[in-house]
Amino acid sequence: MQRREFLKSSLVASAAVLGSTALSAGETTQPIDGRKVSKMAFPEKKPLITYSDRPPLLESPRGVFTQGLTPNDEFFVRWHLPEIPLHNDPDNYTIKVNGLVDKELEISLKELKTEFEQVEVTAVLQCGGNSRSAFHPIAGGIQWGSGAMGCAKWKGVRLRDVLNRAGMKKEAHFIGFNGKDNAAYYETPNFVREIETHELDDHVILAYEMNGEDLPYLNGYPLRLVMPGYYSDSWVKMLSDITVTDKYKSLFFMDVAYRIPDNECECEEPDNKFKPTKPITHMNVKSVIGYPENGMKVYHNSHLVVRGVAFDDGTGIRDVMISTDEGKTWEKALLKQGNGRYSYTEFRYAFKPNKYGKLSFMAKAINRLGEEQPFAKDIKWNHGGYKYNGIDVVTVEVV
Amino acid sequence: MKKILLLAVLSVGSLFAQVKGDVEVPYIAYEIKMGKGFDAIQANCLMCHSFGYIINQGPQSKEFWHKKVDKMITHFKAPITDEDVEICTEYLFEHYGNGKLK
Repeated sequence: MQRREFLKSSLVASAAVLGSTALSAGETTQPIDGRKVSKMAFPEKKPLITYSDRPPLLESPRGVFTQGLTPNDEFFVRWHLPEIPLHNDPDNYTIKVNGLVDKELEISLKELKTEFEQVEVTAVLQCGGNSRSAFHPIAGGIQWGSGAMGCAKWKGVRLRDVLNRAGMKKEAHFIGFNGKDNAAYYETPNFVREIETHELDDHVILAYEMNGEDLPYLNGYPLRLVMPGYYSDSWVKMLSDITVTDKYKSLFFMDVAYRIPDNECECEEPDNKFKPTKPITHMNVKSVIGYPENGMKVYHNSHLVVRGVAFDDGTGIRDVMISTDEGKTWEKALLKQGNGRYSYTEFRYAFKPNKYGKLSFMAKAINRLGEEQPFAKDIKWNHGGYKYNGIDVVTVEVV
Repeated sequence: MKKILLLAVLSVGSLFAQVKGDVEVPYIAYEIKMGKGFDAIQANCLMCHSFGYIINQGPQSKEFWHKKVDKMITHFKAPITDEDVEICTEYLFEHYGNGKLK
């Protein structure tokens, strides 16, 4: 679908995906871009691209990705279950820690803030289905553009410290997390995630602050799990229960949803799905240009500074390369780092357009292991439209 | 049912609710297509999610929509009758389909 067609058909209050795809099986292009933000703002949020009000699904527009920290009121939102508590009482908020522990705990938010060491980590939060609209045939699920991601400074306490207070038993193997969001039907499975005890490290925290403020309500107030380097389906919001077990419990959101083919390319054919599958966990290397944006007009011979953000699973970004000739040659962008290896690396690239007409900027991030973003067309298809990390392309007009 | 009724009118949510205390999340009147089967969609789908979820899946095959409806029953335990499974699938394919059966 052409972007222009999309803009024409986009609705005021929603980001409807219309039209059809003429592409053959298993192709990947640039994600849909330039969707209009809604006229309606959600609590503590600026108007964002709005896919659903219940559960709330909000995407940040491209212009947000010029900054190393994403402002709380522009940070994307994705809930799975429709019933999110509408009354909050942080003074009486508690979480339970139970299962295979020496001592079951009920800890209040206040105790978390006063009786444990307070720590901070800056980390990217990204939906596994971010940029899903790049996949053809269309993968099931919300057709996100590139804005189901953000980076924030998270403050809270180490999960390990909390578990140490409870005392995990020797047989402990899995740690399950549940939040206070509920389904409309009692029988619907809760949105529960489990991690294995070996995944527990000092960067995994229970966070109550985001960028120096209380977590926004829609980002999991008053407490959420922070799993740096992992896709956001692991970062359980409005955390209520931590349960330690020895055996893996079958969970819908880990066993059916958020899974990719368990093969080298993590890919499959639309007509020939690959089994077995595995959960999505660590993020791959990715970058997004925040400025300029598609369709902008820029002046001939002006000083243009391309800006954007890059990140991976915490390995760290080594370079961001920019191409202005469709990927034939690449030049290094200037990087600004300093918020730690899980955060956005900001990049900037100065360019003086000296030809009139269309001009495309491509951004390609490379991490410290030498892993780099592929061209969009080289990304292999998977049925859930997960883990898209194609080289970002923005096309402007030089006038 | 209150929520369904509210969706019928354009409602406006508060801009900046206080997080401490009561929060109000706005309702959005998604422009969903009217047609045969709409009543079944309203009755079965809106319990758990907004129309935005339907509109923003992208145009899909009949098989896709059938599987989506089945998923709501199998995995999310939605009490959708066999008759409504067919009605909902037909509606979704007609209005949000890509013309392909598979």
